[in-house]
Amino acid sequence: MNSTIETRDLTKRFGKNMAVQGLNLTVPTGSIFAFLGPNGAGKTTTIKTLMNIMEPTRGSSMVLGVDSKRLGPKEFTQIGYVSENQEMPEWMTVNQFLNYCRKMYLTWDNKFCNDLIDQFNLPLKQNLKSISRGMKMKAALVSSLAYRPKLLILDEPFSGLDPLVRDEFVSGMLDITGGENWTIFISSHDLDITGGENWTIFISSHDIDEVERLADWVGIIDRGLLKVVEQTEVLQNRFRRVELTLQEPIDIKLNFPEKWYLPKQQGRTVHFFDSQYETGKSEAQICEIFPTCSNMEVSGMSLREMFVVFAKKFKISEL
Amino acid sequence: MINFTVKFQYGTPIYEQIVYAVKKAIVTEQLKPGDQFPSVREMSKELRINPNTAQKVVAHLVREGLLEIKPGVGSVVSGPSMATKAQRDKILNNEVEKLIVESKRLSITKKEVVDAIICNWALDNKEGKK
Repeated sequence: MNSTIETRDLTKRFGKNMAVQGLNLTVPTGSIFAFLGPNGAGKTTTIKTLMNIMEPTRGSSMVLGVDSKRLGPKEFTQIGYVSENQEMPEWMTVNQFLNYCRKMYLTWDNKFCNDLIDQFNLPLKQNLKSISRGMKMKAALVSSLAYRPKLLILDEPFSGLDPLVRDEFVSGMLDITGGENWTIFISSHDLDITGGENWTIFISSHDIDEVERLADWVGIIDRGLLKVVEQTEVLQNRFRRVELTLQEPIDIKLNFPEKWYLPKQQGRTVHFFDSQYETGKSEAQICEIFPTCSNMEVSGMSLREMFVVFAKKFKISEL
Repeated sequence: MINFTVKFQYGTPIYEQIVYAVKKAIVTEQLKPGDQFPSVREMSKELRINPNTAQKVVAHLVREGLLEIKPGVGSVVSGPSMATKAQRDKILNNEVEKLIVESKRLSITKKEVVDAIICNWALDNKEGKK
């Protein structure tokens, strides 16, 4: 499999703060990769080293087949990069801004650009400084899509956007997947922690469902360390919520396999999350360990539910 | 336009769920032979799914003979097909056996299973009754 991004032991330190630690990540060509983690986890730092905005302290990364430290104009015309804190020439009108960008890219597709302008209802004559944040992000996206980049990097694209705008944003993003050799890398703080076990998930269920169906790869980073990197389909297949009713309560701590996460017992009811589910086999093992099991419910889980399990299990970011 | 209905559930691969939804739409004649099937791009944008998943769905349906690729038109729904011997065996023996094993395990009676099969056979009616 060809990869568009490949990092080896990528590390970035600011003084004593290890922002990114030994990151080994492969983003296959032709995939949508969701890079998730709480605020301050190291997502933006990772992206900045990938984009040659920062130099890594240690390790390296290859982007579009080139060492990221050697990325230059040739590669940048094939990369679209939209970040939450995008700096834009505020004094320009939307139209002036797009015309200004157009000149930098040989592959700029006027028809595609105009389609996107229509689709997003961009106010061409208004100044960038006078339009809403959502509009500004959409203008940035148009300026990064119109030359049909091979790699699209979106750093927190959804934060602060209302659901309708997010929806349009996703639509526009999918537009470039019609061509060849595209790759999309989205970073997002899907999870935000207010401390301890109290989790707040910023993105509405609608959005995380969207990530679930869109991303074929998911990576979770926390305090600079990559905790999970896996294909969405594999995650969906291997995770199950299990609820058992026992005829008589027993001590579940005995013989409880490591792969069954976060066991909880309330009288005769036992809950846990199976992280290695296999149809038939898992059920058989449950019956073996809990011979007095009288009822068993095994159900599939959403990505959001899996995140909460990962977060509790691996104690992701206790602030 | 997406001319079939799919309700996503957790725990089953998206692509399997869509393939099943299309088969059901064909059986209930929501999709008829000759109908235009959405392109990979349309499916991806409308259902908000990864284009690779949409591609996999079309490839699978073509391989199973449910869709035909017509040059210049895209993919269209094929005419009804006769099952091969292997396909008949898979359903009439393997799938039925699985159903019986599960039913016996849960002490469901033969009459209940047969009644459920008859009731479910008319897929449209079932929706109506509920």
